[in-house]
This record gives sequence, C-alpha cells and structure tokens, in this order.
Amino acid sequence: MMSGAPQARSAGIRYVFPVLAGKLARFATRLRGGGSAFPGYLTNRLAPTLLPTLAGQFRYGVVFVLGSNGKTTTTHMISEVLRAHGLRVFTNPTGANLPQGVTSALLADATLTGRIKADVAVLEIDEGYAADLADRLSPSVILSLNVQVDQLYRFYETERVADMMLEASKRASAHVVVNRDDPYLSKIDVGAMRGEVSFFGVSGELVAASAHGLANAADTRSGNAGILDHDAFAEVVSTEGRKVVVRVDGTDAAITLPARGLHYAADAAAALAVAARVLGAEFAVEKAANGFAKMAPAYGRGEVIPLRRDPEGEQVEFVMFKNAPSLQMNLDALEATPERALIAIDEGTPDVSWLYDVDFDVLKRIDVVTGEKAYQLALSLEHAGVEIGVVEPDMEKAVALMRALAPSSSGTQTWFVNYELMMIGRRLLGHGDQEIARR
Amino acid sequence: MTDAVRIVQLYPVELGITGDRGNVRALQVRLERAGVPVEVTRVGIGEAIPADADILVFGNGPLSAMRLVVDDLRARSAELEAFVASGRSLFSIGASAELLSQGVDLLDGDTLEGLGLFPFRVARTRERNVGYIIADTPDGRVIGFEDHASRWALGADAEVYGTVVAGRGSFAHGEGSGEIVRRDQAFASNVQGPALPLNPQWTDAILTAATARRGIEWSAGDAHAHLNEYAEGARTTIERLVHSKDFRTIGL
Ligand SMILES: [Zn+2]
Repeated sequence: MMSGAPQARSAGIRYVFPVLAGKLARFATRLRGGGSAFPGYLTNRLAPTLLPTLAGQFRYGVVFVLGSNGKTTTTHMISEVLRAHGLRVFTNPTGANLPQGVTSALLADATLTGRIKADVAVLEIDEGYAADLADRLSPSVILSLNVQVDQLYRFYETERVADMMLEASKRASAHVVVNRDDPYLSKIDVGAMRGEVSFFGVSGELVAASAHGLANAADTRSGNAGILDHDAFAEVVSTEGRKVVVRVDGTDAAITLPARGLHYAADAAAALAVAARVLGAEFAVEKAANGFAKMAPAYGRGEVIPLRRDPEGEQVEFVMFKNAPSLQMNLDALEATPERALIAIDEGTPDVSWLYDVDFDVLKRIDVVTGEKAYQLALSLEHAGVEIGVVEPDMEKAVALMRALAPSSSGTQTWFVNYELMMIGRRLLGHGDQEIARR
Repeated sequence: MTDAVRIVQLYPVELGITGDRGNVRALQVRLERAGVPVEVTRVGIGEAIPADADILVFGNGPLSAMRLVVDDLRARSAELEAFVASGRSLFSIGASAELLSQGVDLLDGDTLEGLGLFPFRVARTRERNVGYIIADTPDGRVIGFEDHASRWALGADAEVYGTVVAGRGSFAHGEGSGEIVRRDQAFASNVQGPALPLNPQWTDAILTAATARRGIEWSAGDAHAHLNEYAEGARTTIERLVHSKDFRTIGL
C-alpha cells in the first residue's frame, strides 16, 4: 500500500542553524502579533533542502487537500480519521495554505535537527501553489474536492483552477482522489497520473433530491457541461440530518457530520477515500466513525453558543459560507426558515456579485445585515424579496441589536457569516478562544 | 392592463458567472415595483430570442464559454443588429461585450472574431484590472467592480459613456481612461457588481427608454425606497473605501 510513499531520509546537524533561525524568527513574529510567513521564508533561504527532508520523514506520506471549497473541513476530517487509527498527524493551521505558511507550520513542529514526530502530514494547499509545493514535498496522495466559481478576481477562469488541481495531481506518487460529481474533475486523464485514481461522490438519488444539486462549476470547455460517470470508491448513500452513510470500497461507514449539508457529506466521502488509501488494510470503518465523532465538538460545527452568555438561554447557531455554492448548500440544508437571523460579509470577500446567483427563497426575513459589505448584501437580499430588519455595518452594534430582539420561540438564532466575521462574532459572544474549521 | 416588458437573458448558463442574473433582477424588480408586468426569458444556445423582446441582457464568462457560444451568436448577427438599430435596449458585460465587439485578440496570437455590433476591438492583456471602479456618465455616477485582463481600442465613431474617476477602466479616453461604450440604447462595459442593482440611475435610464418606446407609463417612486436606500449605502461605502488612502481592493 505504501510502496509509492517517500521513504524517511536522514536529517541532521546541518539543519540546526536554519531551523533555529526560523524558530527564533517565528517567536519574534508571534511576539509582534504578526503573520507567519517570514520564518518560513527565512528557513527556506537558509536551507532549501530542509522542506523535502521534513516531508520525507512521514511514514505514511504527505497528503495534499485541494479544492475551491471545504479544504479546511476535509483536512480536519482526514486528520481525525487517521488519528482514530492511532496515527500521529501533522497538519497545517487553518488558512496557512501558501508555501511560506506551510513551511512555517512544519518548522514549528520540527526539532532542531530537522526531525518531525508524526506519521503522516495532512495539508490543505492553495490551488495556485499546489504543483510547486508538490515538487518540494512529494505528496503520496493528492485529493481534489471541487471546482466552483470562486475567487474570479484571483484566477479569472474557473477551468484554470481545475487545471491547477489536475496538474498538481500528476505529482502524487501513490494515489489521486477526485470528485466524481465535479464536471471538470470527473474528466481527469487517468492515464496521465502516476498514482492510482479513486473517485468519491454522492449517490445520484441524493444529488437529484437536493434543491440545487452540488453547485459545482459547469464545464464550459469540453462540450459536455456535466460529469463523466465513474464508479465511486467512496460514495454517500444516505443522509438524515448530520447522520450519513458512506460506502467505502463496498463497506458502509455510518458517521456523524460536524454540520448539516450535502457538501459536508461529500467532504466526508472524500476524507474516507483518502484515509482508506493512506491506511490500506489498516483502515476500519468503526475507527473512521470514531474519528468523526471526535470532530464535532473539537471544531465548533453544529455547536451552538449562548446569545447572552447564559448557557440555559437563547443560542446562536453559526452557518459559515465563503461563496455562492457554500451559501446555497447551507441554505438548502436548513431544517426550517430561521426565526431570527443575522447575515454578515466583510471586505475579506472583495467581489460579492455571486450573491445574485444564490436562491434565498428559504429566508423570509433577515433581522440584521452587517459587516463592511452590509449594504451590498442588503441590496441583493432586497432584490431577492427577503424582508430586512436593520442594516448595521458594525458587527458589534449588530450583535447588540440581535441580543435586544425578543426571545425566539425556538430558542435559537441563526447567523450566516463569512469566516472572518464568524471569528469576530464568536469573540463578541465571549467565545474567542477556539480555532474553527473554514468552509 | 399594461402589456408586459419583455427581458431576455442570453446564454445564462455559459455567460452568467459574475452574478449577471442580478442585472436582470434589477430591471425586473424596478419595473414590477412600479406596477409594470415583466416577462423574463432565458435563451440558451439554439433557442430563439422572442421577436417582441424589449431588453437583452448579456453576461460574463471564461474564454472557453465564449468559444462555446460564438457560432450560435454569429448566427444571430443580423437579428441583433436590427434589434439595436431599432432603438431597443441591450446590456452586455465582460465576455459578451467582447463578443459583440469587432474582435478579440488573444494572448496566444489567436483571434476571436466578434459581431461588430460595437465599434471597438479588444486586446487581452497579461495585466489584470481588478478592484472597484467609478465612472461619471451623463446619467450619473456608475459604481461597480472591474475584473478583466483587456484593453479596448475604440473606433472613431465609438460613443464613450463614462469617464473613469477611480479604477482602471477599459480604454484610453482623453487624458485618462474611459469605461462603457454606448450605441443608441445598447451598452458594452466591464462594470460588474452586478452593475444595475448598484446603479439605479443607470437602470432607470434604460427602463425609461424601453418603456417610452412601448408607450408604457413608468417611474420610480416610494416602492423603490429600499432598493435606492441600500444601493446608496453600498455606493457610499465603495466611494469611501476607494478614496481612503490605505485601501487596497484585494491582495492578489
Ligand atoms: Zn424592502
């Protein structure tokens, strides 16, 4: 199973200085409260061979997680499933998915002689840097989750994003895992890959039953806008709220998702496919289910936070989104029209034209629209016929307005937020201490 | 009973990746809130444009999508020419504006011949123009988001609609740059956002012309208060951001 994985190479004394310099730089940057890129840059300059050496030490290899949407969530899922099988997992922190961030994260865990005490590395990687990083980190497995219309201001053409993922995938030494239900990814040239190609997916009946399908980008290139059908190595076969069954290589894994939504179910199938490929005969569905069970409380998904610091009182359920597909999938997964709702976007999302592609029918009313882009958001909701209570760009004031509303009969408010405003919202509610998976 | 205004969105699947549905919504909602019935038709490859269409809305998409629709679009050349020449309204953004131009010179040396509906030619560039854009027009200030890698070379008879106040714009104009080419009631531009929800004054100019041609009474009023209020809030925020010294639209 691990034949294609890189073998451990010796590190040693020549890395003491670069590692130490990087660690000191990291310490200094932390003290200033600054970013994490410089230490990685410094170490790369001082010892360009350090990165491949670090990566070569993982007995079960290095896994890359790519995709327009769901990278962090899926990285966490894979990590927890592998941990549930007894592996020591190295993973990069949320959002540290550019080369310097990945280096910095590896550095933080390395001993002075350039040793890493983990069995496997599971890394979320920005698509734009995936091939370059693959040349340096020699991943054994590369997973591509989806290609969605996202970050056009960065990549312009959606198919370019697909090509970046597929080009990087050629560098996986053992396994390539791709989404069977993604029009571009389903058309992967299997013969061009070094690794064995496995597909994951969601059963046709479940996709058909979902109001807006899976929201992956249509293929405008090949003349076939839809997918090429493949047998899935891991397939979601049933869902009931957060409880889903994924058939992995013929065996059913009954798991609980961190949050409702068909996109999370698809991520789970991807994670199980990757774990099964990494572990080979050691993979067990019961252990995998234990991994998922550990995940929900650890990463705040499906978790509710008290609105007024009273654990017995009204609760806030956070729903995180980053683009039209993730917002649509989250709206489609709602059990009912939210009784009290807040929605927020800040300038971290530069172009919000995609809001007009979202079908907001399930929302009858939003009580408070907030964030730096509150008025653009309100404008799109007004055009969609959603009733708006108040537009208040200041998140702190918005939270006060939500707290001042009459208690809901359900005891729950729903807050739709992008990642940055989720972090701010949690802090304003007195829960600023936890890392949350990005979606 | 007022007859309906007929809005057609062309190639919504292929050329509709920048929230272009929002431009259709803006036209539709502003008419409906004034009590004017609206019919919206989505027309794809091989489907007929209704003969009595009043407003055509074209959106944006990748080069692959342009190649996918270009033959179908060329087959409509005479029809679209007659549509514009008869004073009916056409609104095109990004890729569709490029297809309606005289042609697009691509980076690899290839050329994509356009319909020549608008008197300009497009050269794709390595440099991308991304960020908020503000342009002054005879119908007021147009505010939106630009995201394109192109420069337009205007023919001598091209009518420039906007003078760029902030942002890059699509073509050279006087000492600075310009944005939006107009021909009768047809517009070609790179203003996204989408543009029409963010610019009620532009939307209303289009609707005023379209309804006048049909003899339909139309004006914005109290029912448009929320639409105008939120648009104004969004526009004020963008103007403030663009003029704040340390603001960069995005980090590429
Ligand atoms: Zn309203």
